[in-house]
Amino acid sequence: MSNEAISEPEIDIREMAESGREVPDAQLYRVRIDGRVVRVDTAHPTGEILLSKIDKRPCAFELIAEFVHCDNDVIEPEEIVDLRQRGLKGFITAHKEIVTIFINKDPYKIERGDHTVAQILAKVGQNPDAYVLLEEKGGPPMPVPPNQRIEICGCEIFYSQPHSGGSSS
Amino acid sequence: MDYGKEQVEELKNYCRKLSTVTEGGVTYLYLEGLRLPPGCQPPECDALLCPEPKDGYPSRLYFSRQIQSPYTRNWNVSNARIVERNWFAFSWRVQLANPTLPQLLIAHLNGFAKER
Repeated sequence: MSNEAISEPEIDIREMAESGREVPDAQLYRVRIDGRVVRVDTAHPTGEILLSKIDKRPCAFELIAEFVHCDNDVIEPEEIVDLRQRGLKGFITAHKEIVTIFINKDPYKIERGDHTVAQILAKVGQNPDAYVLLEEKGGPPMPVPPNQRIEICGCEIFYSQPHSGGSSS
Repeated sequence: MDYGKEQVEELKNYCRKLSTVTEGGVTYLYLEGLRLPPGCQPPECDALLCPEPKDGYPSRLYFSRQIQSPYTRNWNVSNARIVERNWFAFSWRVQLANPTLPQLLIAHLNGFAKER
């Protein structure tokens, strides 16, 4: 006969936190994020994994742990969370003010809101006179006219390339 | 002309349907429902990409209609009859050495997003 501990099949961490009980080892943890119930198959997910459970990414959102005693903790994307810690009742998210965008596959920090093409190209030391900015938005990369404003919410993907054409007349 | 599967697959991302048509010894890529850059009206239309020299240009992109774009363009081809359909093109010379098809298409679409 094995003397290994038998884990619970599924545990709701909020129920445990509110009843003041310790969270036992489980195969699945029922976790609330922004009020949505998701299931996590490890007691030690990263912040990024938890965000991904509600289709959010750290380039635009931060994850905040909520405890029954009313304290909140911001969880970094790479930070490992202990879902079994006493008092943890769930998570909420918040849209970041300083978000991350990707230009030529490299990450850059930028304030959320409207920006010009010139402001985005300036992140990579380029300008609209010599370079075209392409945005990948629900499809393949498309050139963005320099007179168009771009709304940055976080996680936008851009590419830049030198101008390669011009009007011949 | 064989452009390679990778190039063709990448080009397909820009349109609903991609095929080739040949007329007068010139092979065109027929891009049905080509997506156009932001600020263009309509946001998509059919297009013909000619990746070889034509009308004195190293390559050309023809549209099924004139497009309203953020910058005024010199539409110097109107109602050109190609494969039994009328096409329109603006004056735009792409200077790229050995571009792939997607690079060539983007370079032509850049014509809508560049002031001069």
